[in-house]
Amino acid sequence: MSLLHATWLPAIRNPTSSGRPALLVWADTWRVASPAGPGATPALHPFTLSSTELRAWLAAMDLLPDGIFDATACLTLPSRSLGLRSSQKKIKPQSEETDEITPVWTGLPLQAGEPIPKEPEWWPWQVEGLAIEPASATSWLSKLPLSGNNPDLADELRWWSHLQRWALSIIARGRWLPHVELSRGEGYPHRARWVPLLNRENDRRRLEDFATRLPLVATCALPWREPAGIRSNRTTRLRPEAMRAANPVASCRPRSGRLRVANLLEELVDAQLRKGFESNVEGLDPLLQVWQEALGSDTGVISLDTEEVERLAAASNHWKEGVAGSVAPARACLELFTPQEGEDLWELRFSLQAEADPTLKVSSSIAWATGSKILQLGEVRVDHPGEVLLEGLGRALTVFPTLERGLETATPESMYLTPAEAFVLVRTAAAQLRDVGVGVELPASLSGGLASRLGLAIQAELPEASRGFTLGENLDWKWELMIGGVTLQLKELERLAGKRSPLVLHQGVWIELRPNDLKNAERFCSSNPVMSLDDALRLTATEGDTLMKLPVHRFDSGPRLQVVLEQYHQQKAPDALASPPGFVGQLRPYQERGLGWLAFLHRFDQGACLADDMGLGKTIQLLAFLQHLKVENELKRPVLLIAPTSVLTNWKREANAFTPELRVYEHYGPRRLSTSNALKKALLNEDMVLTSYGLMQRDIDLLDMIDWQGVIIDEAQAIKNPSSKQSQAVRDVARSGKNNRFRIALTGTPVENRVSELWALMDFLNPKVLGQEDFFRQRYQIPVERYGDISSLKDLKIRVSPFILRRLKTDKAIISDLPEKVELSEWVDLSNEQQSLYRSTVEDTLDAIACSPRGQRHGKILGLLTRLKQICNHPALALKEKDIDKEFVLRSAKLQRLEEILDEVIEAGDRALLFTQFAEWGHLMKSYFQKKWNFEVPFLYGSTAKNKRQAMIDRFQEDPRGPQIFILSLKAGGVGLNLTRASHVFHVDRWWNPAVENQATDRAYRIGQENRVMVHKFITSGSVEEKIDRMIREKSRLADEIIGSGEDWLAGLGVNQLRELVALEDS
Amino acid sequence: MTSNAQPTNSSITTALGQEGLGQQPWWVEQWMELINSYRFKKRLERAWTYAREGNVTSIRFEGRRVHARVQGTGEDPYKVKLWLDVLTDEDWVYVLEALTQKARWSAQLLAGIMPADIERAFAASGKRLFPFKLQEVRSECSCPDKANPCKHISAIYYLMGDRFSEDPFVLFQLRGRTRIKLLADLADQRREVLASLINEDECNQNVDNNQDNAPAQPHPAVVNPSLWWQYDSSLSSDLVVITPALDGDTGLDSVGELPLAEEPKFPESRRLFLDHLRQQGQALAQEAMMQAMSTGG
Repeated sequence: MSLLHATWLPAIRNPTSSGRPALLVWADTWRVASPAGPGATPALHPFTLSSTELRAWLAAMDLLPDGIFDATACLTLPSRSLGLRSSQKKIKPQSEETDEITPVWTGLPLQAGEPIPKEPEWWPWQVEGLAIEPASATSWLSKLPLSGNNPDLADELRWWSHLQRWALSIIARGRWLPHVELSRGEGYPHRARWVPLLNRENDRRRLEDFATRLPLVATCALPWREPAGIRSNRTTRLRPEAMRAANPVASCRPRSGRLRVANLLEELVDAQLRKGFESNVEGLDPLLQVWQEALGSDTGVISLDTEEVERLAAASNHWKEGVAGSVAPARACLELFTPQEGEDLWELRFSLQAEADPTLKVSSSIAWATGSKILQLGEVRVDHPGEVLLEGLGRALTVFPTLERGLETATPESMYLTPAEAFVLVRTAAAQLRDVGVGVELPASLSGGLASRLGLAIQAELPEASRGFTLGENLDWKWELMIGGVTLQLKELERLAGKRSPLVLHQGVWIELRPNDLKNAERFCSSNPVMSLDDALRLTATEGDTLMKLPVHRFDSGPRLQVVLEQYHQQKAPDALASPPGFVGQLRPYQERGLGWLAFLHRFDQGACLADDMGLGKTIQLLAFLQHLKVENELKRPVLLIAPTSVLTNWKREANAFTPELRVYEHYGPRRLSTSNALKKALLNEDMVLTSYGLMQRDIDLLDMIDWQGVIIDEAQAIKNPSSKQSQAVRDVARSGKNNRFRIALTGTPVENRVSELWALMDFLNPKVLGQEDFFRQRYQIPVERYGDISSLKDLKIRVSPFILRRLKTDKAIISDLPEKVELSEWVDLSNEQQSLYRSTVEDTLDAIACSPRGQRHGKILGLLTRLKQICNHPALALKEKDIDKEFVLRSAKLQRLEEILDEVIEAGDRALLFTQFAEWGHLMKSYFQKKWNFEVPFLYGSTAKNKRQAMIDRFQEDPRGPQIFILSLKAGGVGLNLTRASHVFHVDRWWNPAVENQATDRAYRIGQENRVMVHKFITSGSVEEKIDRMIREKSRLADEIIGSGEDWLAGLGVNQLRELVALEDS
Repeated sequence: MTSNAQPTNSSITTALGQEGLGQQPWWVEQWMELINSYRFKKRLERAWTYAREGNVTSIRFEGRRVHARVQGTGEDPYKVKLWLDVLTDEDWVYVLEALTQKARWSAQLLAGIMPADIERAFAASGKRLFPFKLQEVRSECSCPDKANPCKHISAIYYLMGDRFSEDPFVLFQLRGRTRIKLLADLADQRREVLASLINEDECNQNVDNNQDNAPAQPHPAVVNPSLWWQYDSSLSSDLVVITPALDGDTGLDSVGELPLAEEPKFPESRRLFLDHLRQQGQALAQEAMMQAMSTGG
């Protein structure tokens, strides 16, 4: 797969672009390449798409920009050193010139996501791509997604789209000025520019953010210059000196990004304003007339005498300087200190503060002492610190004239403010000063924000008798008023308010009282408030939550309440609950914690979503939970479990194996009960009822009549679409009925990251948490999905996180609990078509075998077994169909399940190996999956050519964006290959000999490997596959024979034995 | 031209539109007072007309002198030269030393404001920044009029005031120090003052330490090349919804008047230009918000 990149090209001069900058769009892809090195000029980047390929690809993605032209640039990229392969000695054609240059270094450029070699080097590479004119580039960037993982777009495109969003915000807020930029030297014109004003505190912060997070590939280009000779006569070869002179082998050094980013932002803002600006006002004087025209022109060139341009430039500079200084690494900062004890004057100290990190400050004395040298502020270098400081103080004077008094000496370090002056600074001037780019640091108790407002300090604990199980119950609690970090009584507050001074000293801390503070406090005190457990959960979830308009500054919970809160907020792992009596098997430690968590939320009557990674055993945790209820005598009515048809068999099997005491009733198949009386009767002694989503929806009226104790949904993503009937039916059944029904959802997908799917899930689990759907969409879904709004997402996560437990197999705490290979049996059923085909095949063939001579029996039996295994895979395989029809996936239950699991694997970004013994099946799966997922799925089998084989393997192992699914035939792929990048192995069909399967598994698994490998073995329930599996497991005599002597024993089977082996059993 | 622009001794204003003196920076005001102290009011009135009607075709600052051309009654414009007495290097040493005594002076100058008490710094050298009397403004005109200042020179006087408001450093330039030179000298001077105030060793130590701590840090991307590609931040919350400026909160609102002297012939020019920018700015802001709303869908 290719990956799209975008790199800014500084002004380039060639026939199509008159020295203007552009955005270079280029793409790289994985392919086999020989190491290369620079000759007279940088080497060609071996992985990039040609501009023709790139155009086609962009057009296919509907991302082809306007205003593009072919371009080449020289990009500095981290590279891997590699020796030159012998066959590649001559990369250049023979030349008579004696001074042909042989590369001094050879290697390959690294690609995004590729592992970094121990000693990377930086080399320039010649990269071909498409350049977009700035104005078109801005509209193109606006079209890019602002969030989400788009596999075709490199990370820096998101950085660009965010930068463009900032540019739009600057334009929307009008934070720009027209400017005159004097020529930077010979050949550069004077230009009219639109410059963003970065004086506001948030814009300055943002500049630092963008600069520190700049992916350097966005700015690593030197433009590629076409030497003049090349166009005049294409056959003329340029002498290396000419090429070298035009494009020296030079690298772009990574530098602090602040200025670069400010320049890029300016380019984006300039391009958009320039494009939209209409320069049509009449009656301007000649100077302004020229300026106006230049501001609206493509090039911005100002044609005036130098004298006049300089005058214009000086005027525009002075104009701007009043509000915004230049982009400097540091700024002036005023620090306010509270008066010494017994004094009433406030000290204001002058200092120099790093933009990148406001905690880095030095006193002004050091800035003065540095003179014209360089000052080092942590890692930040500041040139002329004294001037930076003075310039900032000059601007500060315009908004806070009081400062004048403090600057009457040569090297002022601080001054004193009267209480009134200090109050002006705190209340109004601080914000204005920050707006003109001067830092202001106030004492913590006055530094604004919620912390310095009047609020509450609360102490609460569960009442003695309470077990902390019901949300409505009232807590024992005490509260105090709190402001600026100190507590105070209402009386004290009244006394302080009586002083009529906005800044007052209380218990050694200076605090600012606001007009409504006293009123709010009095209202609170007189209301005789109570606090419920529900309040406590809410107030401890987010900072700054309020109780009756008063922010809660401190919440101290007693030890017993603390335990409840911590578990609820998942600040610590839930208390483990040992596997209940009657549970057959051993829960792993993390599974015991999962069980404890389910029981914890159940006590609160809160719905729970167990979203553990695939393979961690959600099924058995749930079964253990039900067994726990049963043992505790809390399981009094049946529980409804809804799952996709493809996993119902699996549920039944697992329940039988792990919780044999649980009585499981199946409500599916054509013979299911259809009247409520019959069903109620049938369920009298049942614990769990299995049904499918489809039947749930069809039989909703019937199922709704049953008094369920709880509703459990497996593969909960099935209800993600809230308007689907299926989803509606499930949510209805969860909450109707006279008794409360507990709700549990199981899913292996990262639900908390799929915002659009969260609402239906939470509506099923705990409807109050996210409110109505419309509200949810406006408040969370649109901000997060469309704009990637991190604060909405955070808030959303805080709301839902108590109800979702997701653990990954890569978590440290989990990995130690897991064996290196986790074997999972995937039980599947047969589709109707498979069933009838299977039955008829068995019947027809057994008869034929019975009457055939002994000599032919062996072959016939083998043929039968093979055909049955093929039917278990897919009817199309047995019927030798070559094409994928519309209903393809529906015709095989196994394929359905396989596809569901692979969906999760892909979603998680994992890689999987699929082993099959049938090459034809490999082909069918390959074409089916490729069509479905629209990416390449390699298939390695017996007749794959040797060099192709190696390429497939290399790509799977090395390509950072290589295929996630790799199909191999058991015979060709089972030995010798190293495919350790896979963390899942699927045995789609079974082989008699487990050793062969294990060998194949070991392609992905190596001793000492850090990844855990999940091995999925598909078993078609009731079929010959189950028999094989059972034989292998039980290590029966028969199995030994099979393993020992191949398939010869088959010939010895009597027809009855054979029938027993192959006949389809009702599962 | 409207009649109310007709100057009388008391109503002459510098900005040749309707603005009064009160809106001028004080140093421009002071300059105008100097001009208005001229005794020959008739000549001033004619000069005012010249200035207002655009007879001044160019004003250039060349080094320490002002060169201008004024279209008089003759065919070719008259050449006017105008200059102040330059301070000697020795004078400047005193001035700089005095200027350094108050950080505010440098601070204000750097922010584009002429300190109101700047003359106190010049008093140290016994000199002035502003000419005290009209006679201190030296001038030459190529016109036949023997009187000095003639009406051509006086016309330049009027326009000069606006030029001063463009850039306070122009006055320093006329007195012999360019902006760059002045600021560099001031920085040096400050360091000297500081050195004399505190223990010299300590001061050097402080600075040297800082220099020692300044090995060029390798860029983080050199240590971790994956930073070449990596960007996993989400869109900052306050860029989610793109909002317009609050009333009076655009860049144009906060910078105020464009400090560019107006051409008398185009009295509305600056206002027209700024109005147009404002109106275009609003339209472009609308467009940007529309674009932002349709993003990423």
